[in-house]
Parts: sequence; C-alpha cells; structure tokens
Amino acid sequence: MTQSSAAGTAPEGTAGPRPGAGVALAVTGLSVAYGNVVAVHDATFAVAEGDACAITGPNGNGKSSILMGVTGMVRRRGEVTIFGTPARNGDVKWAARHGLTLVPERRQLYPELPVADNIILGCYTWTRSIGKARRSDAYGRAVDLFPELKPHLKQLAGTLSGGQQQMVAIARGLAANPKILAVDEPCLGLAEAVAKRVYDVLAQIHAAGTTLIIVEEAPRRALTLCNRRVEVRNGMAGAA
Amino acid sequence: MKFGNLLIAGITTGSIYAMFAVCVSVWYRVSNILNLAVGDFAMVGALGVDNLYRVKGLPLPVAIITTLVVVAVFAYLYDQVVLRIAQDGRRPIEGIVITFFFTFALSFFIDGVAKVLFGTDVHAAPTLWSGPALTLGSLNFERAGLLVLACAVIIGGAFWLYIRFTLGGKALEASGENSLGARIVGIDTRQYRRLIFIGTAVIAALFGIVESPITGFTYLSGATISLTGFLAAAYGGFRKPGRALVAGLFIGVLEAMLGGYVSAEYGDTVLYAILAAAILAWPRALGFESAVSG
Repeated sequence: MTQSSAAGTAPEGTAGPRPGAGVALAVTGLSVAYGNVVAVHDATFAVAEGDACAITGPNGNGKSSILMGVTGMVRRRGEVTIFGTPARNGDVKWAARHGLTLVPERRQLYPELPVADNIILGCYTWTRSIGKARRSDAYGRAVDLFPELKPHLKQLAGTLSGGQQQMVAIARGLAANPKILAVDEPCLGLAEAVAKRVYDVLAQIHAAGTTLIIVEEAPRRALTLCNRRVEVRNGMAGAA
Repeated sequence: MKFGNLLIAGITTGSIYAMFAVCVSVWYRVSNILNLAVGDFAMVGALGVDNLYRVKGLPLPVAIITTLVVVAVFAYLYDQVVLRIAQDGRRPIEGIVITFFFTFALSFFIDGVAKVLFGTDVHAAPTLWSGPALTLGSLNFERAGLLVLACAVIIGGAFWLYIRFTLGGKALEASGENSLGARIVGIDTRQYRRLIFIGTAVIAALFGIVESPITGFTYLSGATISLTGFLAAAYGGFRKPGRALVAGLFIGVLEAMLGGYVSAEYGDTVLYAILAAAILAWPRALGFESAVSG
C-alpha cells in the first residue's frame, strides 16, 4: 500500500480514485445536519474499487456523520453513488444490498444476544433464512477470520472485552457480504496490541479484495494500511 | 386435594397474566412504549364476539374471525396514524409522554367506544369447549381453563420457536436490544413495531375470547387485565418476556393460594402488599431499577 501523496493537504476532489480503477463510492456535495446543527457541509470525494481510504480529522468535525450520511443511517443532501448506481437517501438496507456495509463507532452490538447471533444478523441484509445464512460463505468467512471468537460464540456479546466486541462488529459487517466495508473508529478505547490485531484483520479483509473506508482520529495508524486519505475539517471533507 | 386444585386454578389465571405480560414486554422492547391498552383489546375480543354471536346472530367462527380482523385493522390504523406521527415524524415525541400517554389515551378511547357498542352489563364470549369439568383423581380441570392453558402454551411456544430458530426472530430481539445496531444490518424497526403491536393486539383479543367464560367482561375490564400484565412485565424491567412469563405465572399461583388459604376477601390486598414489599426489598434483582432508568 502506498500513502497518497496528497494526504493531509488534499483539496476537494484530489482524494479521488486511482486512474483505471472502477469507482466504488462517489460522494458529491454531501451535507448532513442534525436539526439546525450542520455536521457535514458539501463534502465531495470518491473511493476506487480495491482502495483502502482513510477519513481523518479531529473529533467532532463530521467524520462519522459522513459515513452515517453515505450509508443512509441519517438523511443527507447531495449525491452518493455506489458502484455507479445512485444510492437511495436514508435507506441502509439498499446500501447494504448494493455492497456498502457500516461497522459503526462504539460497535452497536446486541449485548444480550450471543456472539453467534450478533454475527449472523449481518446476513439479514441479504436473506431472511437462518439456514441459508448459517451455510453461507459470508458467515463462514466472518467466523473463520476471528479464531479467537470461536470459544465465545455462545457467550453474550455484552460480556466480551472491548477488543473482542470490535471483532464481533467487524464479523457482523463481513456477514453482510460487503464489497465496501466502512469502519468507524475501529480502535476507539482499545489497547495498542488489540488495535494492532484489529488492523491486521482489516488488512486481511482488504487483501481479499474488499474496498475499505476507515474513519480514524489519528491518521498515523490508518495510513499504515490506507493508500488514500480524505481529510475532514469543520464538516468540510477533502480540504485540509 | 385443595392444594392441587388451587395450583391448577393459579396456573390457569397465571398463564393469562403471563400472556399479557409477555405481550406488554415484547412490544416495549421493540417500541419503548408501554401498551396500557393491551387489556382493552382482550375486552373487545370478548364483548365483540358476544355481540356478533348473541345479538347479531352470526355463526360463532364468523363472529370470532370478524372480531380478530377488526382488532388487527384497528391496531394497524393506530400504528400508521398515531404512532407514526408520534415516533417517526420530523419531531419525534420522546420520554414519558410516548412511553405512557399514547396507549393510555387509546385505552380510554376503546373503553368509550365499547360502552356505546356493548353497554355496561357483564357479558362473555360463548364457551368454546362446553361440558362438565374433567377430573383426574381428586383434581378438577375446568374446560375453559384448559383451553386458556392450551392457547398460552401454543402461542408462547410458537413465539419461542420464532425467536430461537428464525432470523426474523433474532432481528426482533436485536431491534429491542439496540435499534441503531438493528438499522445498521437493514432491520426495519418500525415494521417490527407495527407487526408486534398488531400481533399482540390479536393475541390479547383471542385471550379475551377464551378467558371471558371464566371471568365475564364489562367494557371496563381491560384496565384490570392491563394492570396485572403491566405489573408482571415490570418484574423484568419491561424488557424480558421470559421473566415476565414467570412473574405472571407466579402472581397467578400466589393469588390462588392466598385466596384459598388466607382470605378469599382480602387475598388480592395481601397479594399486592407482598408484591410491593418484594419490589421494595429487591428492586435491582427484580428488574425494577432498569424499568425506572430505562
């Protein structure tokens, strides 16, 4: 992976896809507001198929809101296309079915459900059959990627350590069979060794061909893996 | 065999409480709203069938199906109009208002309409399985009671299987656990809120129909049923249907034992005193802390 030469000072549009690669995600004029508070203003960037793209910037500057708007978790203004198809506004299921899955900040697991149920619910984006979900490659891969979770599959997710919970959240994202995995602050509150393990797994996922978007406050760790960077300042993406 | 017969009576009443408690807590998990109208749907089931069968002269199966369909359509419209505006609008209403008052108002509304339609006398749906009580040694089993138990076991069992063995059931649980986390995997939490509201309304109406030959119903009976279901559901912070079920059964059995051994007249008073004392003694263990803090 090579770090983008434009990282850190990229003006709007320069954090675009590599020449020749198909565009996985294109965001044009994205704005997200919570009531009267504007979190993201007129963000424009694109991510190529196979890229690992870091969205960096200080906390409270709208990084997570970009992912929330792009994945449809919150209503947005502006245009988002996923593999060339315009994404429906506020429709998470549509985004997931078209290949974009979010691993959210603070994991958002179901603490009183077993780990296995937490992971298999990722399959809900593409099936309603629990048998199909259990037999699927996506679920199998998600579980196999984390051998450390195997002894805990029947344990309630809320009783796991923070690092293990993060792995469950990533595994749930993978069970959705994504082509683009958007991971929000994957190492928040984790010890360095655990954070390293999380990044090792993200590197494996990327090496297997999944496009990655990683939101990180600290760019140093993200840029060990990412070849592109979108810098967010005061809700403006792209401009440093 | 006084004890055995009291136990049977207690389990029968308890299974009714348990079903209403499960209805209250399952829907609370999904919607964060306490359904104070659940008992009123039971009342509509009982008095609706009685009215259509006895007064209007419809055949019994038609009367039952018509009543259940009317309850389902009414629940659907209530969700689509009132709850949609309250929870899904641009300015969702939150906190105590949505938790209590929307279904509290619904309860009054249903009672008012029922008073006009069915009058103020005590009525009951016709007995679905008539005949003398069945006996086993010195134990007596009322047929209506057995029917209530059978309904509770079938509906409770079907619901357990749904939760345990289907992805839809797990999605329902996930909606209750973490609605944001549920939306991330594409679960439509509003759809579950609607489905469970309609489903619990129909189940409550069905229980009203099978239960009413035992107790008799007036247009005001719904509030008492809701209260007991509500109380049993509270013994799990309103979020644990399993605990609500056990609490419902326990309250039913305790009520029967107190009525049989302590005082038929003051049994209920002693029952509520014991329940209140238990809540004061072990608020956390009984789930009341989470009920208050949400």
